[in-house]
Amino acid sequence: MIFLAIRYLMERKRQTILTLLGVFFGTMAYVSVSGFFMGFQGFMVQQLVNNAPQIHIEARQDYLFSHTLDESFFGKEAIALWVSPPAGVEGYMEVQSPQSWYKRLDADSRVEAYSPTLSTAALFTSGKISVAANMIGCHPEQHSKVTTIADYMIVGKFTDIGVGGNRLIMGDELMKRLGLGMNQTVMVSVGTNRAVPFKVVGRFYSGSRGLDLQSFASLDDVQRVNQTPKQINEIGVRIKDYTEATAFARSWSKLAPERVESWADQNVNILSVFAIQNALKISMVLTVLIVAGFGIYNILNMTVTQKRQDIAILRALGYDTFDVVMLFFSQGLIVGVVGAFFGLIAGYLFCLWLQTIPFMNASPSNPQGHLHIAITVSIYIQGLALALLSASIASILPARAAGKMTPIDIIRQGG
Amino acid sequence: MGIIASHVGKEFGEPSVRVLTDISLEIKDGEFVSLAGRSGAGKSTLLYILSSLDNATEGQIEISGKDITKMPDEELYRFRNQQMGFVFQFHYLIAELTAIQNVLMPARKYNEEIKRQARAEMLLDQFGLLNKKDRYPRQLSGGEQQRLAIARSLIMEPKYLFADEPTGALDTVNAETVMNILRDCSVKDGMTVLMVTHDPDFAAMAPRQIRLADGEIVFDNQNPAALKPEVKKT
Repeated sequence: MIFLAIRYLMERKRQTILTLLGVFFGTMAYVSVSGFFMGFQGFMVQQLVNNAPQIHIEARQDYLFSHTLDESFFGKEAIALWVSPPAGVEGYMEVQSPQSWYKRLDADSRVEAYSPTLSTAALFTSGKISVAANMIGCHPEQHSKVTTIADYMIVGKFTDIGVGGNRLIMGDELMKRLGLGMNQTVMVSVGTNRAVPFKVVGRFYSGSRGLDLQSFASLDDVQRVNQTPKQINEIGVRIKDYTEATAFARSWSKLAPERVESWADQNVNILSVFAIQNALKISMVLTVLIVAGFGIYNILNMTVTQKRQDIAILRALGYDTFDVVMLFFSQGLIVGVVGAFFGLIAGYLFCLWLQTIPFMNASPSNPQGHLHIAITVSIYIQGLALALLSASIASILPARAAGKMTPIDIIRQGG
Repeated sequence: MGIIASHVGKEFGEPSVRVLTDISLEIKDGEFVSLAGRSGAGKSTLLYILSSLDNATEGQIEISGKDITKMPDEELYRFRNQQMGFVFQFHYLIAELTAIQNVLMPARKYNEEIKRQARAEMLLDQFGLLNKKDRYPRQLSGGEQQRLAIARSLIMEPKYLFADEPTGALDTVNAETVMNILRDCSVKDGMTVLMVTHDPDFAAMAPRQIRLADGEIVFDNQNPAALKPEVKKT
């Protein structure tokens, strides 16, 4: 019956092309919109998983509420009425047993790198200008394996902070606020401790204001300034497959008192934006495909009416219901397949073109400033599947109606 | 063998109108039968019931010894394809197919279009259409279209040929050509031909003539005894 179906389609070129265009644009829209959103989301995720450690192991600090301590002081049954209820935080300022964490992380083959850090709020003073900013102590070799910070260096190398000697690498924004230049000295004070001079040996620019307001020094230096030798308050971990981060975090958090969180846990807001984007994408694409499906449905319905005589004669010639259903169903399916095929190609070419246009200001994380478009096989398979689904549903209804027609009714009505 | 109808009746629609009443009829293999009658007499309905395209309300029809009213669909479609040819008042050619593709359409059902190619050309040649075999139906005259439709009905070498007003849409010359073809089918090829016509001259060309009125057989020149007494008077 495909033989005749193709004849029908060829004979009505204009209608066929119009319905084909519906599927064509539907598929193309799916491919490009999916590519656009997935590319954007992929880019965002790359930023999230690379700019910061994928898993954070932090000292646990829980807030104290008025009745948090009741049980430990007075037992389960008692009702305590506080004159001055407890407040503040419960827990530790530091990671309790870093050594056992190191052992655990070293033993795990899925861990790519980890970096113990001590970050503290510090007051940077240069002349009369003081700026409060975060100061992070780390082992530069280890830390540059966990985050992309080393890639953002515009002056100096990240490893220049070494293992000691009061050397400091500053974010671009922080340096601008302090009015500092390279190799100048800045006074750093933490809490009520005496200010310590540090020399600026490097400068980085990431494009992210928050990160560019931070500074890095060696772990030993920060521990000394903070007067907390040997202490760390976070271990950043990079694993081989970042999608497993949340599962890791869950299992590790059971092993020790520390709070273990993945990049996904810390960016729930961004991931929820993705979910909204995906919902938007699906509803948009469904609209397009429904319109395309209606195109097929309409034309096929019309064809069935026009071809009543052909249906009658085919039935009289011994063709059965299935043959007649297939005659019309295959027309819709052919339109779907051909439209989807060209739609996929056009969508692919469109994505390639989108990738080349400059769209935003170049930044260290996006040096060309172009759009990020995902071109992955799954998008194309989904696009094809959706187009075929909409074409099938749209064609099966008229085809079934055609299959139900009996030759005698058509002949009796004189065609 | 042949076609045997016993006590066939047909009602139509809601409220029901009786179209055929208690028709019993035997058509032997190789007979050429014309069914005549005024319009509304039920002659076309009888033809379609005898040829399995329509269902009888009651009664039973045997073709080649098989009860077609009880035949499973699959078998019925195959039987229709292989044993029955149909010619209608209108040609019902498929506009998108060339003459020879139209002729071969029945053969396609069971993928026999290559096997039947030679026969198709032979039939087209016989009907003077061979030089037009790649033309589309709209490029043929009315007479040529009807001859093409007959060629299509004969492609599977059917035993039975059913024709409903085959000359209805044709001029006299073309109508005579078609009538001669139908007669040859019976006389030369031994096919059983059942033809509905309201034209008395064409009806008379068939050796056996049956006339219907108000859903009953009122005349059968081969079997006068079968008629009901009260009908015979009219």
